[in-house]
Amino acid sequence: MLHTTPSGEPCGLVSNIQKYTIHDGPGIRTEVFFTGCPLRCLWCSNPETMAPYRRIGVYPDKCISLQKCGYCVKACPLGESGPLRFDEDGILASASPSERCAGCARCTDECPSRALKLWGERMTVPELMKVIVEDRNFYRRTGGGVTLSGGEVMLQWEFADMLLRACRDASVNTCVESALHCAPEHMEAVYEHADLVIADIKHMDTNKHREYTGAGNELILDNLRRTARLGKKLVIRTPVVFGYNGDEENIRRTARFICDDLGGGIIQYQLLPYRKMGTEKYDSLGIPYPMSDYEPPERAEWEARLLRLRDMLALEYGLPAVAGSSGKLEPGGGRGDASR
Amino acid sequence: MSPTTAAATAARSARFTSDDNLAQNRDTYKNAYLIDTDPKPIEPFDKDWGVAISGNTPEPSPFERINKILAITAKTTNGFVAPDAAELVTQAYREHSGEPALLKRAYAVGKILDEAPVYIFPHELVVGCLCCDKKGAPVFPEFGFNWVVNEMRDGLMGYSEKRTHDYFTYTPETQERLEKLRDFWDGNTVEDMTRSMLTDDVIKGSHDGKGVFFADAYIFCGAGHLGLEFERLLKLGLGGIRAEITRYESELSISDPADIEKRAFYKAAGIVADAAQRHVNRYAELAEEMARGESDGVRAEELRRIAANCRWISRNPPRTFWEAIQLVNIAVDLVYIECNGHSVCYGRFDQYMYPFYKRDVETGASTREQMQELIENFFIKVWDLNKLRNHILIRTFGNGGIGGPALTVGGITRDGGDGTNELTFMTLDAHAHIRIPCPWLAVRMHANTPWELKIKVANLIRMGTGEPKIFNDDVAIPSMLTSNVELHDARDYQVVGCVEPDPSGKAYGWKDCGHMNIARVLELAVNDGRCYNCGEGCPRWERCGKVGGRLGLATGSLADFTSFDQVLDAYDKQMEYWCDRQIALLNTVDLVHRKMYPLPLLSTFMDGCVESGKDVTAGGAKYNFSGPQGVGIGTAGDGLATIKQLVFDEKRVTGRELLDAVTANWEGYESLYAYVNSDRVHHYGNDDDYADMLAKFAMDTWCKHVERRPNAHGGFFQPGAYSVTVNVAHGQNQWASIDGRKAFEPVSDCMGAVHTKCSSHDVRGPLAICKSVTKLDHARATNGTLLNWKFSPGALAGDVGRENFIALIEEYIHRKGMHSQFTVANQETLLAAQRDPDEYKDLLVRVAGYSAYFVELNRALQDDIIGRTSLSFD
Repeated sequence: MLHTTPSGEPCGLVSNIQKYTIHDGPGIRTEVFFTGCPLRCLWCSNPETMAPYRRIGVYPDKCISLQKCGYCVKACPLGESGPLRFDEDGILASASPSERCAGCARCTDECPSRALKLWGERMTVPELMKVIVEDRNFYRRTGGGVTLSGGEVMLQWEFADMLLRACRDASVNTCVESALHCAPEHMEAVYEHADLVIADIKHMDTNKHREYTGAGNELILDNLRRTARLGKKLVIRTPVVFGYNGDEENIRRTARFICDDLGGGIIQYQLLPYRKMGTEKYDSLGIPYPMSDYEPPERAEWEARLLRLRDMLALEYGLPAVAGSSGKLEPGGGRGDASR
Repeated sequence: MSPTTAAATAARSARFTSDDNLAQNRDTYKNAYLIDTDPKPIEPFDKDWGVAISGNTPEPSPFERINKILAITAKTTNGFVAPDAAELVTQAYREHSGEPALLKRAYAVGKILDEAPVYIFPHELVVGCLCCDKKGAPVFPEFGFNWVVNEMRDGLMGYSEKRTHDYFTYTPETQERLEKLRDFWDGNTVEDMTRSMLTDDVIKGSHDGKGVFFADAYIFCGAGHLGLEFERLLKLGLGGIRAEITRYESELSISDPADIEKRAFYKAAGIVADAAQRHVNRYAELAEEMARGESDGVRAEELRRIAANCRWISRNPPRTFWEAIQLVNIAVDLVYIECNGHSVCYGRFDQYMYPFYKRDVETGASTREQMQELIENFFIKVWDLNKLRNHILIRTFGNGGIGGPALTVGGITRDGGDGTNELTFMTLDAHAHIRIPCPWLAVRMHANTPWELKIKVANLIRMGTGEPKIFNDDVAIPSMLTSNVELHDARDYQVVGCVEPDPSGKAYGWKDCGHMNIARVLELAVNDGRCYNCGEGCPRWERCGKVGGRLGLATGSLADFTSFDQVLDAYDKQMEYWCDRQIALLNTVDLVHRKMYPLPLLSTFMDGCVESGKDVTAGGAKYNFSGPQGVGIGTAGDGLATIKQLVFDEKRVTGRELLDAVTANWEGYESLYAYVNSDRVHHYGNDDDYADMLAKFAMDTWCKHVERRPNAHGGFFQPGAYSVTVNVAHGQNQWASIDGRKAFEPVSDCMGAVHTKCSSHDVRGPLAICKSVTKLDHARATNGTLLNWKFSPGALAGDVGRENFIALIEEYIHRKGMHSQFTVANQETLLAAQRDPDEYKDLLVRVAGYSAYFVELNRALQDDIIGRTSLSFD
């Protein structure tokens, strides 16, 4: 899906640009989050990136009130009959998308206190490159660069390809983080200019996978095999949610898949601890948090369990496994340090 | 060390040696072989003490003795009033009432050194004190005395609701003894003479007026913020210095009037130099006496060694590491006893001590472990020192203790090489082993700093005690050259106090002598010289606003300006007006110091004074500066950016509306207040030239009106660009401001971005801060700059966190940022410590310029630290 600006230029729909990320690829990186995702993982911490269109988030705590401010309503072409709803004190309550709202987002532009936040900016390649090259010295010093993430990068594969090309031209190292639930030819197009790929294996059982993410895992595992065959430098991640996919059997199955189907030649296998994050973003979008009732184990316990799994992966399967994403990735993409 | 930890350490070291980065370094850096050198420091260079654990570790030192000393060391800067010196000074002044100030001072100091009590404390191997018990603060009545006895009388000295930290206890006997001196000193102190020489036109903007600038440090306190010339002291010894005085004195003509003046100086210098030698011998005598009464044979032997050391160094140059560190410690104590200043500094410790270290290792005179233990003992002794401050000063300088006892390691040598050596590492390890905030450690770095040292420093910083600070040779040295400092002296600089680079032992630099709130200058610039809150509530109302007057210069009003250039022009003119007045005040104080408070003993330890026959206060030192600093760079910069964008570029509001909004403290202007505080407005700290260039203009204008103005001790002014903690006090003196600050909130700290109650204005992370801050002209701020970084622990955890952190430091150095300090703490921890202070007594945090026990700070400063933007990404 290729978005365009009002003037017809190709652009990406970007929910956020995060600078100084150090956990998604080697070195210091700038991470570009693409909007729109085909999966609906229960533990997703970026709900603003789910829908493939612009969303308006509402933060009532920041609202000054209709009486003292009211800039949003004044800016809205639909005026008081627009999507903005207020409580009896004049505090913003919701921004229900309606058919009449064309998503012009003028209300978010005008809101002085950022009680209205637009998720999903249209940004062109030159606009993104301007931000990306700001930190070029830091990339050089640390072997860092750009990571495209989301959402699902592959949904906007044409734009991703254009952006990655521009990064290559600017000598900026590139990394793509994807769930790989996509058409293989889109994936391959994006890979052309990607130095490193970070991909998830969320569950090896396709039924469980469907239950937790809304889709089976066949396409993803196929794409992973294809990625390995292409010789792409690959980091595998499992977001470990105990009670869902953190059981030993599933991790062993994942390990066997990596060894047998991917040839074991991955750079790192990261076991990421689940943290309840992004709930305030769910609230701002009026979406219920799917795992609101889930109680993770105590920190000491999940840490111990994660480390046991890591040791198992390293000792029994010889995989470069790490707990968390703080393990060093070599800038050149060489085999990382498996000891931590 | 458990086998697993040992294996892990070995594995890490092995990996580091094969690291590409290191391999590259080895080709480039001649000193990068530290891990293979013999002898080795006692800790591995990459020893990891954990992240954000601060001081919260029992018995942190590997040395039993050090842990025992720590156990009897109070983690507080509260102290007690020690009256002995004040009485002795008074006696000396009475006995020598007709003599010049120089001689009066010499006799007074001599009397203290001869007669005030000396102490040797349990377990210690290095001795020295301020002629009082640990945490005692001597009284210096010559400087200003009424405040001391008044605060005792009025209950403002000890603990009360008005003084909950940095308080001083005293016995009724102490109070009585001091009261008896009141009449003698009333009207005869430095403070009294200074006040008599000032006009209202100068006072009106000062700490005694409307607080546009403060210049009180050298009114209530003596000169400090300097170092001794340690290399000369260690080479000549106290006896050698005495001999130099005699030699120069003997060459004087009997009739030349200039020489007659010099003769008085040499006489005074001789009196104090003799007294210093006798004083050191008093420790020898005390140690011998204690050894005779000591039942523990080991301790008795230690005391005999202490006695022998003191006896030897009272006359001769030191021969061993132990003798040398003893002399360094006691020499600084001697200067504190004389000067009533703070921040008498320990210079480049790893440089001047290295020859002793090397010789001892070679001859076997002592082991590295013994020297490590001596360093740690010496560090704790610095923390034992204390200084009396009034109840106002402690608001701006909380948990300061003696104040500013900086010690510098690392950096370029006099001849241009890298000076990193084993002692550099041992000095840093000593801090990790004691975890008290003394001395104030500074590490000098530059393009060729060995990678191992960066690892050591990063590990120390992420431990979270706030130590050490990092100075950048690649900008500090060129900056000094612009102040006429010779190249080899510039390379040999030390860091003094919180922030300031100083040619070690060669400069009477009057660092940190005052500060100007440049955000307040902007207020007066755009409001025609009037305060926003001008009105009946002001103590100056009757003679100012009511009669049509104004505090500052009439530079026009934002309501009438038709272009942004007029705003800049008004700010420039207003700044000149206030710099004139601040400099008037500082030069007045300077003249009074020279007239009433010469420093003959310090002069004997400084380069230039003995040679020239002039006291330091009279310009005898090789270099002479005065360094006040500009405060509120971010606040002024964002104020200018807001005016430019909203009034002139976007025309979103009129100048009149903006003035009305700040005058109303933003009440009734809620949407404008939110907008000004939002990322819609260009703000300093986001790598946005629009705002960053205006912050630069704000700072440059301050520098322009200060730099090179003549001072009263034969040198010139150097501008600084930092606030330390005084941004809180300046904010408490200031109404709302255009950048979106409400009345009485702190102005921006040091070189940092604005954070108001509504929002932090820097929203683009550490790399943007690094770039914005380095757009400012650090080299021009010859009195120093400072950026306070605050990291959440997760940002620095693991190898990845550390390496990227080092990259950030390297880039800051590459971009010519002068100086960084670091807080590594969880927001939650700081809030918990506010709720439950007893549980967090060991929690050290970086304040600005120094580290302090968080629970000993006042609430406003605690809140300011909590409010600084935390750089995090997890």
